[in-house]
Amino acid sequence: MTTITFKVNGIAQTVDLEHDRVRLSEVLRTQLGLTGTKIGCGVGKCGSCTVLVDGEPVTSCTLLARKADGTEVRTIEGMADGTTLHPIQEAFLDAGAVQCGFCTPGLVMRTYALLKGHPNADDGQIVEMLRHHLCRCTGYEAILEAVRLSRGRMQSA
Amino acid sequence: MTSRYVGKGIRRVDGADKVTGQAVFVADITVPRMLHAKVVRAGVAHARILSIDTAEAESMPGVHKVVTGQGCNILFGTCLWDQPPIAVDRVRHAGEPVAVVVARTEHQAEEAARKVKVSYDPLPILLDPVEAAKPGAPLIHEKNGQYRRIGYIVRSEEGSNIFHRYKLRKGDVAAGFAEADVVHEEHFEFPLSAHCALEPHGAICRFTQAGDIEMWASNQAPFVLRDVLADMFKVPVTRIRVRVPYLGGGFGGKSDVCMEPMVAYVASQVPGWAVKLVLSRKEVFTSSLIGRGMKGRMKVGARKDGTFVAMEAEIYFADGAYGDTSWPVVTVAGHNCTGPFEFPNCKVDSCGVYTNSPPVGAFRGYGHPEGQFMMGRMVDMLARKLGMPLPDLMRKNFLCEGKMNGLGQVIKKSNGDIFACLDKVEKAINASPLPAEDETYLYGRGLTAMMKSPKMSANAASTAFLQVSNDGSVFINLAGIEMGQGCQTVFSQMAAEVLKIPIERVRMYREVDTQFSPWEWQTVASMQTYRGGRAVVLACERAIEMLRHNASLVLGCPIEEVEYDGDACFRTGQASNRLTVGSLARGYMFGNGLTVGTPVQTTGVYRVQGVTEPDPDTGMGNAAGSWTFGVQAADVRIEKATGKVDVLHFASCFDPGRVMNPVTIRGQIAGGVVQGLGAALMEKLEFGPDGVIKNTNFAQYRIPTIDDMPDKFTIEFVETPNPEGPFCAKPIAEHPIVAVAPTILNALRDATGVEFTRLPVRPADILEALRKTEGV
Repeated sequence: MTTITFKVNGIAQTVDLEHDRVRLSEVLRTQLGLTGTKIGCGVGKCGSCTVLVDGEPVTSCTLLARKADGTEVRTIEGMADGTTLHPIQEAFLDAGAVQCGFCTPGLVMRTYALLKGHPNADDGQIVEMLRHHLCRCTGYEAILEAVRLSRGRMQSA
Repeated sequence: MTSRYVGKGIRRVDGADKVTGQAVFVADITVPRMLHAKVVRAGVAHARILSIDTAEAESMPGVHKVVTGQGCNILFGTCLWDQPPIAVDRVRHAGEPVAVVVARTEHQAEEAARKVKVSYDPLPILLDPVEAAKPGAPLIHEKNGQYRRIGYIVRSEEGSNIFHRYKLRKGDVAAGFAEADVVHEEHFEFPLSAHCALEPHGAICRFTQAGDIEMWASNQAPFVLRDVLADMFKVPVTRIRVRVPYLGGGFGGKSDVCMEPMVAYVASQVPGWAVKLVLSRKEVFTSSLIGRGMKGRMKVGARKDGTFVAMEAEIYFADGAYGDTSWPVVTVAGHNCTGPFEFPNCKVDSCGVYTNSPPVGAFRGYGHPEGQFMMGRMVDMLARKLGMPLPDLMRKNFLCEGKMNGLGQVIKKSNGDIFACLDKVEKAINASPLPAEDETYLYGRGLTAMMKSPKMSANAASTAFLQVSNDGSVFINLAGIEMGQGCQTVFSQMAAEVLKIPIERVRMYREVDTQFSPWEWQTVASMQTYRGGRAVVLACERAIEMLRHNASLVLGCPIEEVEYDGDACFRTGQASNRLTVGSLARGYMFGNGLTVGTPVQTTGVYRVQGVTEPDPDTGMGNAAGSWTFGVQAADVRIEKATGKVDVLHFASCFDPGRVMNPVTIRGQIAGGVVQGLGAALMEKLEFGPDGVIKNTNFAQYRIPTIDDMPDKFTIEFVETPNPEGPFCAKPIAEHPIVAVAPTILNALRDATGVEFTRLPVRPADILEALRKTEGV
């Protein structure tokens, strides 16, 4: 049985994998109880399962868990500071970018990755990034606005 | 009085749960003593099952049970009982379950499912509803017409694949067409499509060894589901408990009972164990419910001055293997294909036909997008035939106060002002001229008007239980499912407004639980704000009444002299002697413990008023409990070289009575429009000749991404007060999708001169059409 050791939201974890095709999303959700990461398609096309691995956004439903061995993973559970929401989370609420909420955690994570690397990301970069995510509720208008709002707030934070 | 909450862009009350990932969906739930299920699907679209060999699968590690349909004699339904929870001796669509493995882990169930061997004897495959409806077509259900059904509303035709025919007969169509100066007739197609809510369907079910049934489900209709389970397993309704946590989008795809009876049947075979199944995305496409699937013909006649005199339509729905979830869609598509126009003479036949696809169910708009796709395009074509500007033709025929719809209902002023909607949309769209054709692009402008009146059970009701706490905060339990539409936020706004308290002091119960929640028909038909809202308002008004009553006992005065201001009750003119709400909430206790009055716990119930099922012979009757009108317009740009369509501007105006929350309603409209763009330009379930769906993930079944969003949205409202609704509101949720496809196709016609009548219109279709027109 394969065992992996990695950090999730800053906490060291060692996990036995049931088989060698186990995906990171399954480990997070089933073995670590981090159910904030959502599985919408299972093939990396909807973006709902996006987490950060060593700072890079990845679709955790396609990443083999064994490849996360030795990495640092950040999930939606690692975004708010206690009861203080992350500015991106606040921005999604203020922009009305949340409806059913299923795609939201992945969007928050991808937005964080983009703005961390590109604090002045222009609309072109934002749209390029949002292209990796599906939302069936909002029509994207409010999501685009939420990312713009996040950009401003992270700059001033 | 100015409002503090109603009409304001209040932040969602469920928002923090959702942005932090704490909102719980069915897939997130683990319960004690839980097993996992994996389903073996038919893979063939129509066949007799010759044998199922489960021996090897049963011996695999972790496997508790392999369940097949052998010995299952259950048919489930709500109005037409035609579906087994698992295939028994025959499969009627390729996604049908034939065996289910139950194992300790999901992986073990998957591994074992691969070892189940099934052999089939193929039967003829029918996908086209017109072909399937023909006399002599192979029968998908030999027992059609003999199944248990509610005969007044489900009109099955024995010896055929037509399991439901809705007929509308208003006036004299032949005489109407004889009066027409211009008649136009056309054929249309709206393909089978997938809802694509981001959350896949899931359910957990346990048959306890004490004889109770517990279920967690991603479902918009927990009480219907409960009743279906009770009927399936002959268990008293009270011994069944259905819980629905947050729902990750529905759009109708979760409003009908679909995979839950199968999970329940499997759970019944392993009493004491909870069985969990979350569908893969592929299974959502092949084995939940799908939508639309219409082939139709429509004919409209008008006088020279544009007055509509008659309409006729013949509509066939490819409704898939089972009919219980689609017959009402067939009915609504029939009686509301007249759109927002008055026709003195109507003849409509709308047929639900068994075919070898997954069953069709509700899909946002519920028959309206299908029927009004035809009408929206017909009116555009007719305007040119008449030589009349389209808006003039619309205005000539709009339903408005005193006019009669196809069902024979007379429209009231409060039903809405579609003229004002058209004015606003015209103003928005005409504000910038449409660019002229250039080297690279063609440009077009399209316009459609719509009407939606939801189909519902005539006893459809919402109930709110309200409790006032000893600190004055208020708890409301109403079983409307929060699936993204924002009903919990709007209910909170309404309650805070009526009770005059800060919204933070209102708490909506989050999880719906049939054991604790008051009965609710179901969360469909855009009815939560309207129907649920009335229940909330009523419960709040009663709470105020009870607080005043308790106060009157303390103050020793008639209740008429007691005022309430949100914080306290007091006697008129004696505002300094205040009895706080908290002190009155459980009756009022004097210093010595003597208590007067009663705990403030109230119930508000609202049932739709005066709804009846359509008359079986004429199809007319009071089938609609409310109407909402709207108008949409689009400017599109077509790249000549590729046929690619960009939506430059999409303008919408609806009359929702009163806007409850401008942020959430804008989200509904923008979201509905973009979903509609998917239907217009992209989405179609593709079946192979073997009847198997080919596009079963988001790479192949493309839904709109941010690239497909219009460059500009105009979203406006006309607010014609509807005294029947809470704060004068009307339904508005499904509505923004209804007219999108005809609006876009009208714009494509404007750009290309080509009359598109089949959805979706993809770049290849446009290129082919452009080539044809050049050849002429």
